[in-house]
Amino acid sequence: MATASVLTPVKHRRDGIFSTRLAGGRAPLTPSPKTPRMHVMQEQGQQESIHHSNANLMARFSRSVSKTNVRDSPKSNIASRPSRDSPRRLDQTISEFTLSGTGPRPSTATSAKNTPSRAKAGRSGSVHRTPKRSQSNINYKAADRFIPNRNASEGITSSGAAVKLDNEQTPGRRPKSSASEGSAALAAGAFDLGRHTSSSDLTSSLNFDGLNLNDNNEDDDDAPKNKPSPKTTAYQQSVAEACGVSIKQRILAFKPAAPESSRPIDLRSQYNRPLKPAAASASQFRRRVLTAPERVLDAPGLVDDYYLNLLDWSSGNQVAIGLERNVYVWSAESGTVSSLLECPADTYIASVKWSGDGAYVAAGLGSGEVQIWDVEEGSKLRSMHGHDTRVSVMGWNKHILSTGSRSGVVFNHDVRIAQHKTAELHSHTSEVCGLEWRADGAQLATGGNDNLVTIWDARHTSAPKFQKTNHRAAIKALAWCPWQTNLLATGGGSHDRNIHFWNTTSGARVNSIDTGSQVTSLRWSLAYKELVSSSGFPDNSLSIWSYPTLVKNVEIPAHESRVLHSSLSPDGQMLATAAADESLKFWKVFERKPGQANLMAGDHCTTFG
Amino acid sequence: MPSATAPSSSDKSKVHKLQIKGSAKLVTEFFEYGINTILFQRGVYPPEDFSAVKKYGLTIMTTIDDQVKAYIKKIMSQLSKWMSRSKISKLVVVITSKETGEHVERWQFDVNHTPTSTSSKSTSGSGEKENSDPVPPNSAAAAAEKTDAEIQQDIQSLFRQITASVTFLPVLDGNCTFNVLVYADADSEVPLEWGDSDAKEVKNAEKVMLRSFSTNSHRIDTVVSYRLAE
Repeated sequence: MATASVLTPVKHRRDGIFSTRLAGGRAPLTPSPKTPRMHVMQEQGQQESIHHSNANLMARFSRSVSKTNVRDSPKSNIASRPSRDSPRRLDQTISEFTLSGTGPRPSTATSAKNTPSRAKAGRSGSVHRTPKRSQSNINYKAADRFIPNRNASEGITSSGAAVKLDNEQTPGRRPKSSASEGSAALAAGAFDLGRHTSSSDLTSSLNFDGLNLNDNNEDDDDAPKNKPSPKTTAYQQSVAEACGVSIKQRILAFKPAAPESSRPIDLRSQYNRPLKPAAASASQFRRRVLTAPERVLDAPGLVDDYYLNLLDWSSGNQVAIGLERNVYVWSAESGTVSSLLECPADTYIASVKWSGDGAYVAAGLGSGEVQIWDVEEGSKLRSMHGHDTRVSVMGWNKHILSTGSRSGVVFNHDVRIAQHKTAELHSHTSEVCGLEWRADGAQLATGGNDNLVTIWDARHTSAPKFQKTNHRAAIKALAWCPWQTNLLATGGGSHDRNIHFWNTTSGARVNSIDTGSQVTSLRWSLAYKELVSSSGFPDNSLSIWSYPTLVKNVEIPAHESRVLHSSLSPDGQMLATAAADESLKFWKVFERKPGQANLMAGDHCTTFG
Repeated sequence: MPSATAPSSSDKSKVHKLQIKGSAKLVTEFFEYGINTILFQRGVYPPEDFSAVKKYGLTIMTTIDDQVKAYIKKIMSQLSKWMSRSKISKLVVVITSKETGEHVERWQFDVNHTPTSTSSKSTSGSGEKENSDPVPPNSAAAAAEKTDAEIQQDIQSLFRQITASVTFLPVLDGNCTFNVLVYADADSEVPLEWGDSDAKEVKNAEKVMLRSFSTNSHRIDTVVSYRLAE
């Protein structure tokens, strides 16, 4: 609004009409106005002064408060332009202001004011001024009178600025205009207008300069990077020099992270790699493994229970298998089968284990009873009680029979004496399904449904030596390495699927394999640095792994359903597997070349019939 | 690439002149094989992820892992743009330990633009046709410029050196990753995937300067810096 009012005169000033007005304007100035007029104008003057002071205040206020605003908006740029104009502008705005300010209502104000001014004008003889005035009035009429705040503040900004300029630039003229009496304001306005025309070119150019400068400054504030001032560049340069960095170049990084490597790499093994590519050498040196079973037997009624241990191969080359309530013995040499025992109808066979000499079979029952049978005689030697729950796993160490039960407790029985129970091993809180003595009898490893692997020292059975919690499922598969006595392999159930290798002296985990399926049993080869694992869901296969490279040599799709139990022949060449598909299969997985010795010393070869 | 254009240019001069663009391509290609070799030799990725390729008269291991391949390809496509506009002054491969986040090794290839060949080329080119005395500039140019075979040989010996450098570089323990940095001119266009970075220098580093090679418009100096064994 104010800008409009401010602008209008500017436009007009450039008109030719103004020059004539100017002439008219000047004329009245010379004859100084008389008292009556002065009176009228004094009123005006007072108000003027009031407004003026207000204006100054407001101007200062608005400046101090909203300086940035003033700068930013284009409107204010326009406003600031007049502020840089010559002082007459001030007069004009003031006069305009007075006009709007004095009148209580715009319309009446104009009429009221017009009258004296007209009289004034008439007296002074300048007719031209009247239209000019009415024009300015019209401006204010058009403007809402009750927006004085805005009008004022903006108009005032300009006027205030003008006043300041006035003081600075034309101190001499200032008193004249401010102390203008009578028609002085008008006259001065006209006069100033006239003067303005003369200097308009100059001012406008100045204004432009100012604006341009302003723009630059603003740019500096907003985006210093785009156009750094010479100073900042110099500063950057000096900093860059100090840091030893060239300002003309940037170090750019390719931001996306490099893809993860599939496995950690030990460079040492890489430097020592054979000259031929790994795959070729592996295929060349890979042992040929027969993937077809040597023999398949039916195992009707084999209980499909992961936690039981129903298959064992004796050192006398006989295979014992528990089928529901019976234990059968199959002679590998003659191929004959005999039923060894039948348990009471209210229970079932939960575990079967040959003694080390191959003369006796221990059978664990669902009732918790453990029976020991002489195979040659086909007679029961003794029954051992103590467990309340089924005995699902057993292990011999000479005359000691260790039995693990569903309750999680493991008993050591000395089978020679009447008070057979020699130790209670408390570690597991859930069913013990894996139990394996080390060949030298110094350590016992047990695995349970509580996902715990426990390693016991045979001399201190009161407390476990190590308890390993790495598996995330039940551990049935446990195997001691035949050539490194303190190496134990353990395989987890379907939720875990890992084979972990342990140093049982230090308790450290030395290696791991993720097999991808439930590990139901583990057997080390006696002749090769390999071990075989049998799988449940989803593969139902046998896998042969090299150790310590952990490379899978071969995977044999062995059974139609999960492989439950496995056992190695005494010569270590043959593996028997029993699966939930009720079949017993024999695999020649560790076939030995003629003249090849076992990794263990003191081994006697037995032939397979 | 050079062999394809060689017959046509051999009419004019015996020496095939690499233009900036051709040279940039050659240098970019060198970088690609260089990065692959470093990744293989320094064990950033397992050896079974690499396969052998015949290049520069050598067997060079390049990755066959799709992700790594795509990653390097992305870098190379941008690099070739920069190279052809001569915006690059350094290419750096930084190997960083995943455990500690420390930079353990830094392979820096300095790219020096040698404008001499282009100027000599322009004089010889114009001189051949217009001037009656084309022989002196031509022979001078021939002396200054290198044949493809020479360049190949230079690159070959540099690769041999990179491969051999594993003998003195400390063994990196397993888990490492790598970053690629470039030193670009301040006014070069930078795609979103590239961002400003520090130099990723190796702390307490030993530096070894390897061989250099030059094409007619570029000269590549190679420096490897590595952490001294504590």
